[in-house]
Amino acid sequence: MRANAILFWVLTVFFAFSAALYMVWSLIYYGKIEWVGSVGLMLSTVLGAFLAFYLGRSHASQGGELPEDRLDGNIDDGDPELGHFSPWSWWPVMLGAGAALVMLGIAVGFWICFIGIAFTIICLVGWTYEYYRGYFAR
Amino acid sequence: MAVGTIVWLGSEVMFFAGLFAIYFTLRSTSPALWASETQHLNVPYALVNTLVLVSSSFTCQFGVFAAERLQARSTGWKPSQWGMVEWFTLTYGLGAIFVAGQATEYATLVSEHITLNSTAYGSAFYLTTGFHALHVTGGLIAFLLVIGRAFAVKTFGHKEATSAVVVSYYWHFVDVVWIGLFLVIYVLK
Repeated sequence: MRANAILFWVLTVFFAFSAALYMVWSLIYYGKIEWVGSVGLMLSTVLGAFLAFYLGRSHASQGGELPEDRLDGNIDDGDPELGHFSPWSWWPVMLGAGAALVMLGIAVGFWICFIGIAFTIICLVGWTYEYYRGYFAR
Repeated sequence: MAVGTIVWLGSEVMFFAGLFAIYFTLRSTSPALWASETQHLNVPYALVNTLVLVSSSFTCQFGVFAAERLQARSTGWKPSQWGMVEWFTLTYGLGAIFVAGQATEYATLVSEHITLNSTAYGSAFYLTTGFHALHVTGGLIAFLLVIGRAFAVKTFGHKEATSAVVVSYYWHFVDVVWIGLFLVIYVLK
């Protein structure tokens, strides 16, 4: 994490230098400061400093080394918990059909929307609770 | 899952940025219309409604704290003992009051002849606040689904807690957008 903080400090210095250079350059070239780019570069400086400071503080309080900081680190050491993803499901297809029905109703005749909304609600609940019922109930 | 939600909320920011752009463009082209039409707005009423929505963000966050200690239900009547279900139900109630308040406000404005197709002001007002109200309604449905999941499982685990956390991200986002809309529509006029 120390390397990440240093990288963002490097970026901060780079953006601060770029902002100063940009302002001086536009002053010489056009005779006035071009504010859109100048403000953008100055804000990039602040953003870089924010991230560098935050990472530095986090490192100081946790002291934790990230896998990418270690020379003997492996790819899967940095593998985070990604959460639950369904291997396959029909519900998103049905949900898409429901949304298509609602859109069709807006374009063709509004009565179709009522069927579409009811169908979409059924699909939404079916999708959200797919792994909470039947074999997957727990 | 949290990262994916944040990326999606980034696209939502772009969507609302477009709506704000519509509002500002129409406002800059017809300032006289804005001067006359904004007099119909009931600012104290909207302020109360705003405070209801902002307080719902706090109750939502307490629900997240409960979810993070994997506590679905309350262990006593005191708010410090409440679980995620109690806090999210309260949040749902506050959000529902906000949407109902919006509907009442719309009815009042329509009776004063400000409608979606009356003037550019009406279009800008109903497009921005209407899309926001639709998002709040979507958030209310999401709260119901998350509360339902807490009832569907015997033990409330990390998966259920994650869905509670990402719904709270969405809710805070919708709340912040409303603060922006309130400042632009009711305070700046």
